[in-house]
Amino acid sequence: MKEPLRITLLRHAVLLLFVAISLYPVLNVVSISLRPGDRLRSTDLSIIPPDWTFESYVKLFTEQPFLRWLGNSLVVSGVVTLTGVALASTAGYAFSRFRFIGRKATMLAILTTQMFPATMLLLPLYVLIAKLGLVDTWLGLMVFYTATALPFCVWQMKGFYDTIPASLEEAARIDGCSRAQAFWHVVLPLATPGLVITALFSFMTAWSEYIVAAQVMQDESMFTLPLGIKGFQASLSSQWGLYAAASILVSIPVVAVFLAFSKYLVNGLTVGSVKE
Amino acid sequence: MGSLLRTVLLVLLVSLAAAAAGCGPHDARQVVTIWHQSRPNEREFLADEIARYEAEHPDVRIRPLYKETEELRSGFQAAALAGAGPELVYGPSDVLDTFHTMRLIQDLSPWLPEAERAAFVEGGLTTLPARDGSGRRELVQIGDRFGNHLALVYNRNLVANPPTTTDELVKLAVASTTDADGDGRTDHYGLVWNYTEPFFAIPFVTGFGGWVFREPESSPPVPDLGTPAMTAALGFIRDLRDVHKVAPANCDYELADSLFKTGRAAMIVNGDWSWSDYLENPAIDAAVAVLPTVDATGLPMRPMVAPKGYSLNANARGSAAEAAMGFVRHMASDDVQRRLVQRLRMLPARKTVWDDPVFSTDATLAASRAQLENGRLMPVATELRAVWDGMRPAYQAVLGGSLDPAAAAERMQHDAEGFIDSMHRRIEPSPLVPVLATVVGLGLLALLVRQLPTFVAFLADLRRNPTAYAFALPAVAVIFAVIVFPFVWNLVLSLSDMSLVRFRDWRVVGLQNYAEVLSDPKLWGLSGVFLKTILWTVINVSLHVALGVMLAVALNGPIRGKAIYRLLLIIPWAVPAYITALTWRGMFDYEYGAVNLMLGKWLGLPAVNWLGEPLRAFEACIIANVWLGFPFMMVIALGGLQGIPQELYEAARIDRASRWQQFWHITLPLLKPVLLPAATLGAIWTFNNLNVIWLVSNGGEPQDSTHILVSYVYKSVFNLYRYGYGAALSMVMFLILLAFSVVFLQRTRATESVYR
Amino acid sequence: MATVTIRDLHKRYAEGFHAVRGISLDIADGEFLVLVGPSGCGKSTTLRMVAGLEEVTSGEIRIGDRVVNDVAPGDRDIAMVFQNYALYPHLSVRENMAFGLKMRGTPAAEIDRRVADAAAALSIEHLLARRPRELSGGQRQRVAVGRAIVREPEVFLFDEPLSNLDAKLRVQMRAELARLHRRLGTTVIYVTHDQVEAMTLGDRIVLMNHGVIQQIDAPLAIYRRPANRFVASFIGSPTMNFFPGAIRDGAFVVDGDAARLPLADDGSGLGSGQSAALLPQGPAVLGIRPEDLVVTGDAVPFTTAVIEVAEQMGHETLAHVSVGGSSHVVRVPGDRAASPGDRLSLGVRPGGVHLFAADDEGRRLN
Ligand SMILES: Nc1ncnc2c1ncn2[C@@H]1O[C@H](COP(=O)(O)OP(=O)(O)O)[C@@H](O)[C@H]1O
Ligand SMILES: [Mg+2]
Repeated sequence: MKEPLRITLLRHAVLLLFVAISLYPVLNVVSISLRPGDRLRSTDLSIIPPDWTFESYVKLFTEQPFLRWLGNSLVVSGVVTLTGVALASTAGYAFSRFRFIGRKATMLAILTTQMFPATMLLLPLYVLIAKLGLVDTWLGLMVFYTATALPFCVWQMKGFYDTIPASLEEAARIDGCSRAQAFWHVVLPLATPGLVITALFSFMTAWSEYIVAAQVMQDESMFTLPLGIKGFQASLSSQWGLYAAASILVSIPVVAVFLAFSKYLVNGLTVGSVKE
Repeated sequence: MGSLLRTVLLVLLVSLAAAAAGCGPHDARQVVTIWHQSRPNEREFLADEIARYEAEHPDVRIRPLYKETEELRSGFQAAALAGAGPELVYGPSDVLDTFHTMRLIQDLSPWLPEAERAAFVEGGLTTLPARDGSGRRELVQIGDRFGNHLALVYNRNLVANPPTTTDELVKLAVASTTDADGDGRTDHYGLVWNYTEPFFAIPFVTGFGGWVFREPESSPPVPDLGTPAMTAALGFIRDLRDVHKVAPANCDYELADSLFKTGRAAMIVNGDWSWSDYLENPAIDAAVAVLPTVDATGLPMRPMVAPKGYSLNANARGSAAEAAMGFVRHMASDDVQRRLVQRLRMLPARKTVWDDPVFSTDATLAASRAQLENGRLMPVATELRAVWDGMRPAYQAVLGGSLDPAAAAERMQHDAEGFIDSMHRRIEPSPLVPVLATVVGLGLLALLVRQLPTFVAFLADLRRNPTAYAFALPAVAVIFAVIVFPFVWNLVLSLSDMSLVRFRDWRVVGLQNYAEVLSDPKLWGLSGVFLKTILWTVINVSLHVALGVMLAVALNGPIRGKAIYRLLLIIPWAVPAYITALTWRGMFDYEYGAVNLMLGKWLGLPAVNWLGEPLRAFEACIIANVWLGFPFMMVIALGGLQGIPQELYEAARIDRASRWQQFWHITLPLLKPVLLPAATLGAIWTFNNLNVIWLVSNGGEPQDSTHILVSYVYKSVFNLYRYGYGAALSMVMFLILLAFSVVFLQRTRATESVYR
Repeated sequence: MATVTIRDLHKRYAEGFHAVRGISLDIADGEFLVLVGPSGCGKSTTLRMVAGLEEVTSGEIRIGDRVVNDVAPGDRDIAMVFQNYALYPHLSVRENMAFGLKMRGTPAAEIDRRVADAAAALSIEHLLARRPRELSGGQRQRVAVGRAIVREPEVFLFDEPLSNLDAKLRVQMRAELARLHRRLGTTVIYVTHDQVEAMTLGDRIVLMNHGVIQQIDAPLAIYRRPANRFVASFIGSPTMNFFPGAIRDGAFVVDGDAARLPLADDGSGLGSGQSAALLPQGPAVLGIRPEDLVVTGDAVPFTTAVIEVAEQMGHETLAHVSVGGSSHVVRVPGDRAASPGDRLSLGVRPGGVHLFAADDEGRRLN
């Protein structure tokens, strides 16, 4: 249906305003990455500094093990994304569709794990990781990231399943599917927006975390990206150029992942399946 | 679906291939890990020395790992407590007393015979009294260099000769503070430095005859801040800005640094770590000079100086310790020290190298050495942290105009004493502990017995409903595997006296920590941290959800360029917050920040002192956090919108519902199941969001006024080492959130489906 | 094709609600059985237990000779059409219809043939490539039916399949369903709350209320001899008129002596073969369908009443009259004048008397 021009203009106005708001601080980061001499602050509004240079970007690839960090981060985030999606899509389904003892309590308990200030958990977490011999392994990090991302993902998936009418699944079961088959053939495809959000969130969790990574990873060759990047920051003598350039580069895969997934995020499927 | 899966699988395969390529052959050498806080240029030197040492000792592998100051401190505490950690830590001497008190590092005396110690400059070796009370002193650090001292750096393009007295300094600074284009805004400042940080005020304090601790230093040391010297120093600093107007209205480290680097400041007070950057900068002609003498007292401004060196982890034993100390001896050897001076132009810890000719040929090194000889050794005492924490709020209040120097000096003394007190507080075990333990035990037992029928029913349900459990179990198991131990640990800790003085030998003492938490007026008062946290959470989450839904709805219409908009709008989420939060801090700068510049240019509004005024600083944090959080909610809302059948809108239009009514009666209710989890968790995360407050307001500045509960905990735990107290406060925070969630979820029936 | 046998079926939901309370049914091979009753009476629950979507609390369900209580829905050889269609939104119409066959591993050629046949039978061949969201309500309904018939199951289950359609489409689909059943001859269990659907489609009707079967019978039998007051009031439109009163001295006396109907044994009121002597004396409720409450003289005289409202339908007029203080409906032939204020003298057609117990159960007495 065609909308009145007034509404279309309003949409564009709001979106443009927020695009500007979203971009400006990031352009500032770009600006820092182009400044020579590690200057964090500028004294005017210009984005491209007069003495701009790509030196920081070049250095990242020539003098810093940036590609190795990137590879490490891709492995960690990839595995966390897959396990996160796999576990959250199944658990969310159980919480949405089944009525079992301890369901509500477990859902609340899952939430409670997010309620503790993370900084307070660092010390015992490290003790745990050290005692289990997971220092300097990716397994420890992956398990931790998955566990961190899961509570949200499980709740989110449950929310999405809740919007999928039960009758679709019942139809599938009458059509000869087992519960698991109905889940795979009918429910999962319809929950794609939820899966995309879950995937994005799991990915981001693993992609940007550095506090726990700093505890677990002692070997520089196993550093993840954020951990490597944080190394450019030293109290009172940070390498702001590298820090900013790396931060910009780190966001590119995120944007790419979003770009790849967003088609599924906005592909409404439930529409028209059932009559409300 | 198919292609989505394929994409994901592809990413995974590529990454696994990369991982496989990264695995090398096994290494049989003795590994020595060093956590160090070396600055970038020093790291290369370290790497070269490691290579040299490894070549000479093929059976040893040295693994250096850079850690930022705070990270090194807290990380080492955790690691050493867990019986692990690096063999060596390398850094300035200021953490040594803490590590020593916590028994995380060991006595190095066996590795450095008395005879060899004479070769070191005074202060190059740090000793502390043994904790067994024998009066023996233990060697806790072997230094390899001196530094961290402030000096005056001036831009020769703007100042020909450095000042030698403060009168000259003021005169020169006034002369070089100019508004060249006459627009009423200063273009060049005479003197800049990080005047938000007390460390940078020390030369002024010493110049007026003051010091941080009462002399001679006792154990524990007593702060000496409420002095006339302090009052005079604070007054002098304030006048530089307000009377002589030679410094910007707000100046933190990064602004001072950027101003000087771009030639917009004639002089800067900064430490040795920064000098090479200035000297090498082609845009300016920098030179280093000794800080001037204060005319009022005739005393030189004396910065703090500290040795940097190596300490040995208490857990390092046997061959690992041997190998580690071998490397330390290498670094402290004459050869390496000489290379250090020649290459890094740093001041060595060994006397034997001080005669090197480079000291007379290199002006910077000569100035550095002169300043060092003029400096005062930084006290090793842990209490120094309490002094900094005590000084900071009052100092910032003076510069914020809300406190006069004399009152500030008094408050510093009072606050510092208070902090030292709480640092050293010893909590006696309550006689009620056994009673408490029995009650808790019985309570648990009763609960268990009461839950027995539920458990039996659960077993039956398990048999009846295996699919449900099979689906839910893996995720639940992973989540709890990670959290249970830390949670229980925290619970126990909250009942304990774990602190600086009882770090390894803590005991369960009862509910005292809770009593202290609950009776703290700073937390629960009307303008207290708790209410601020609630405000912070409510405002942030409401705005996140409101903006997210608004943008999602705007995007969800028949308009062009949707994909582009969508992509650009998630950018704040995609770029790491640890840098964008810092950009926001820059954007809130009083004089040069984009926010004020835009407000002034486009709206004609007066500049707002965002980071200097308590309320404004809090607002700045909120704005930055809203910016960081709205894209996430937008993505969620976008996903949720897809599930709303279009027919509903058609039906609503037939019913002549306005757009607003459609939004209110169709969109929102149907977004609920998808938005609720996000909003609930969003509230929890925001409540516990340390990062933004920490980065935007630089750890609660000004005057510790932007704290929310989590940053308050962080500060009390990590600055004052009050682990028991921190754990109790986190338990209280946990309970607050739990109560909130239970009520909120019940109210919104989030665990129920809309279709049931 | 198969019989369906239900024995003493109970359903208690997890929250403890007792939705189905002991239902027993024998459904013949090829029969079209309609489950009807007011909303919430447990029809769907019963149907869903037959489908295997809801666990049986107690009792037994057989399809053919097989007890299916613990058989998965997909293995029961049934097909179901849902009220909301439940089409798979991510699949085309063709894929929707083929889905069940695919899951069973039917060869592709066979699937194509069956889908084509079903599509032809329902005249939806031109829609096969579309997605459900591109269909109108009626088309979706056809696809839903199509998805059921391609499976060629033993039993069809319908859960209010027509209630989301507009009145005209509903009539059309109703006829089509009837034709389809005649052609395929498959056993059908059909749930509806609409008595017209029940009357027109069912070989037999099962009338339920509060989880209990009230009556099982052929449509006309149910209409003519409702087993209790609930059935009587549920079937028939406009609803049967009820007059509370008492049976006394061979006559029914409406409360407050507002009217009196003699219950002679001659078949004039009670119907042939019934005797007033067998009726219990005392309080009872008299039921007379609007069309049996007539104005003509050859009926058993009952009472006189004044028309309060007259609804002109063309072929007839529904006259609302007041008797004994409550409102009742009389069907007046269209060719007779009837307007508000007219006084009618009413009688009861022979055999048009239904007597029910005055208690809550309201059992039929005659
Ligand atoms: N899953 C359920 N849990 C609890 N009660 C239910 C459930 N499904 C239906 N009911 C209740 O059981 C009764 C019968 O429902 P149903 O069989 O759907 O009625 P209908 O005859 O309208 O199809 C209703 O009162 C309904 O509220
Ligand atoms: Mg000017």
